[in-house]
Amino acid sequence: MMENTAIQLSDVTVRFRIPHEKIPTLQEYAIRWLKRRSVSFTDFNALNNVSFSIRQGETVGIIGANGAGKSTLLKVISRVIRPTHGRVFLRGRIAPLLELGAGFDYEMTGRENIFLNGAVLGFSRKDIASRLDRIVEFSGIDDFIDAPIRTYSSGMVARLGFAIATDIQPDILIVDEILAVGDADFQKKSAARILRYHDSGSTVLLVSHNLDSIKNLCDRVIWLEHGAIKMVGWVDDIVKQYSL
Amino acid sequence: MLEYDSAKRPPPAIDEFFQLIRYRDLLFLMVENILKNRYKRSVLGVFWMLLNPLLQTIVLSVAFGTMFKSSLPSYAVYLLAGLLAWNFITQTTQYAMSTMAYGGGLLKRIYIPRATYIIAAVGNGLVNLIVSIGALLVIVIFLHHKITWAWLFLPVSIMILTIFSLGLALLLSTASVFFTDTVDIYQVLIQALFFLTPIMYPPSILPSKLSQLLVFNPFVVLIEIFRIPIHANRLPDFSLVVSAASLALIALVAGWVLFTSKADQLAYRL
Repeated sequence: MMENTAIQLSDVTVRFRIPHEKIPTLQEYAIRWLKRRSVSFTDFNALNNVSFSIRQGETVGIIGANGAGKSTLLKVISRVIRPTHGRVFLRGRIAPLLELGAGFDYEMTGRENIFLNGAVLGFSRKDIASRLDRIVEFSGIDDFIDAPIRTYSSGMVARLGFAIATDIQPDILIVDEILAVGDADFQKKSAARILRYHDSGSTVLLVSHNLDSIKNLCDRVIWLEHGAIKMVGWVDDIVKQYSL
Repeated sequence: MLEYDSAKRPPPAIDEFFQLIRYRDLLFLMVENILKNRYKRSVLGVFWMLLNPLLQTIVLSVAFGTMFKSSLPSYAVYLLAGLLAWNFITQTTQYAMSTMAYGGGLLKRIYIPRATYIIAAVGNGLVNLIVSIGALLVIVIFLHHKITWAWLFLPVSIMILTIFSLGLALLLSTASVFFTDTVDIYQVLIQALFFLTPIMYPPSILPSKLSQLLVFNPFVVLIEIFRIPIHANRLPDFSLVVSAASLALIALVAGWVLFTSKADQLAYRL
């Protein structure tokens, strides 16, 4: 492994086991067992022997049709699921912007949610307290910060989530379609922050269906198809092939 | 620099423990938020929580108090102490299980230690138990029941009850993720167990054959070590404490090992 590797996947397979008939209850399982009928499964590989390596400081785009395995890939990198086979190696602190609003409690105020969401991301309470003002300012919702976030618009929730997750520069930033949230101003502001982190050395992984933002931001692109890598290469080559 | 390598990992039972320590602020916040959400909406929040065991005690005392008058002095205290211990174990485990089965969605969206929800549920139950003991104290004083130094044993009893509940919650939560009807099966089971456990009656009224079977009911010793210091004003027998503590430890070790070994599958299953 190279000294400056940020993310490395070796032969990563993620297998979901799909029962032919859904048997979610003990009752049905018992009945089936009594009837001596075995339960049959189909194995579905959401990722199939995926290997690649990303250097520190690279911005890499991930493209592919719906169901190609993009989300699964991000999940396996951000530790949400462990690979069935193969190995995932990461170096550095990772900030996953998977689903904004995950880890929010809609009954609590914006301020309380900053602490809750920060804790979900692994920050201590003390740490968040010292950065509270900056987070509130970046999110631009200081007037509503003490209102329950069920009263927020979805754009406001997304802004708050982005502000918390990216307040400290991560070594690895995972961005899933995030540039599509918020109003034009906030999109500009968040893109600027991602670029600034990229310029000062963060590795960025970007999933998007928007080829323009892939072209603007990424150095290299990974093209997934049916859970396997179809192509990896420089952004212009891959985007050209992909658009065909 | 922080590194994560899916191929090199300490055994899950150990790894999970250290992850929880890292995420301890999340645990505290979750307990705090559960309590806040419950009490914020009504000024009488704490009162509502206490109302259920209090009403149960009043109704049952009126109904059975005279029946057990000779065999069981201070029936209301006996009943309420038993109910608090019983409610703590059953409500905590049920709550943990349902948050895991229905609210565990966060676990498949972002990494947090898998046991977070379960431990937060137990922490929440523990806070409720301590508040309830305050209410119990008021009743005990009101009924002129004696309060002795034996009360100082309660922290030990509570600790044993907590460890047991955590273990049971881990076992049941694991099961409930794989089989959703575990929640319903458990519901029926504890309803039956409630009547098979001496909570609203003294053990002496059971026919001798049936009372021998009580040895197999783990809830009996657990409730006794909590109730004896309050109701009988003495320390529980040493052998009773040892069997309760062993039960709790067995439950915790079994629950922890089972849960952590299955934890990786949770994100796939939930």
